[in-house]
Amino acid sequence: MGSVDKEVELKNRKGFWRESLNPWLVRAKNNPERVAYVLHRVTGFIIIAFLLAHILETDSPVWTQYAPINGLTAWSAWSYIMHVESAWYLKIGEFIVAGSVFFHALNGFRLLLTEFFGVGIGKPVEPKPPYEAPTLSAPQRTWLYIVFVLSIVLWAFSAYLIFG
Amino acid sequence: MAGKASNIQLWQYITAIMLIFLLGYHLVQRLPWLYNVSTYDQTLTSAIVYHQYRVGGWALLLLAYVALFHGLNGVRNMLFELHQGRIYNTVINVLFWIVFIVFSIIATVTVAKLPPI
Repeated sequence: MGSVDKEVELKNRKGFWRESLNPWLVRAKNNPERVAYVLHRVTGFIIIAFLLAHILETDSPVWTQYAPINGLTAWSAWSYIMHVESAWYLKIGEFIVAGSVFFHALNGFRLLLTEFFGVGIGKPVEPKPPYEAPTLSAPQRTWLYIVFVLSIVLWAFSAYLIFG
Repeated sequence: MAGKASNIQLWQYITAIMLIFLLGYHLVQRLPWLYNVSTYDQTLTSAIVYHQYRVGGWALLLLAYVALFHGLNGVRNMLFELHQGRIYNTVINVLFWIVFIVFSIIATVTVAKLPPI
């Protein structure tokens, strides 16, 4: 890259925060794909945070043998942790994780079918005006609405299980 | 160490396919009527959880590896979008592998060293 090009590139380079937030900014009006895109990322963050905590939690029968909690070790410590986690405010957290998992899984399945297996987007053709992406076709949008509806249904079912 | 972007995405899809089955299995384990108990909390008692580890510990371990890779790789993908240069990318890659290896070891220890009830 020449020095002039470099100068132009630097002048036009977005700031850290603008660059960071750029993929996340939603123009949601008549754009459920964009909503799904951001929700997929947000739920992904929630799930990975939970996963790391969940791995430490499920290892508690092992690590409490070396570092007891309230004098409790192994499976007694596990029962104690489960008792603590049965508090209503922690169950709300569990409910949020459940909703995140269902949306992320169903939307991920939709993305797999479309992007990885190419289902429902037809064969590649020469682009013609008005250049509509095949991934935004009517059946694709129907799939997206099915994902939203199924996620809500499964989330309601998880509420029945968690709080029931 | 970074690998091609297309390879990273390919692994993201492969782990996603595996997660459909592994996570499905893990979620089914929380259905109370499969264990003749009445509530979700009762599926988390030490006796049931220990039994689940004995029967399908290998699947839970595989789930931990695959979910860790898929989740951390997703975060790594998002962090790469910031384009902060070569050192930044190297730090992200090193952190990815450290967190992946540490938590994979913890998950392995859980299954391998689980004490009897």
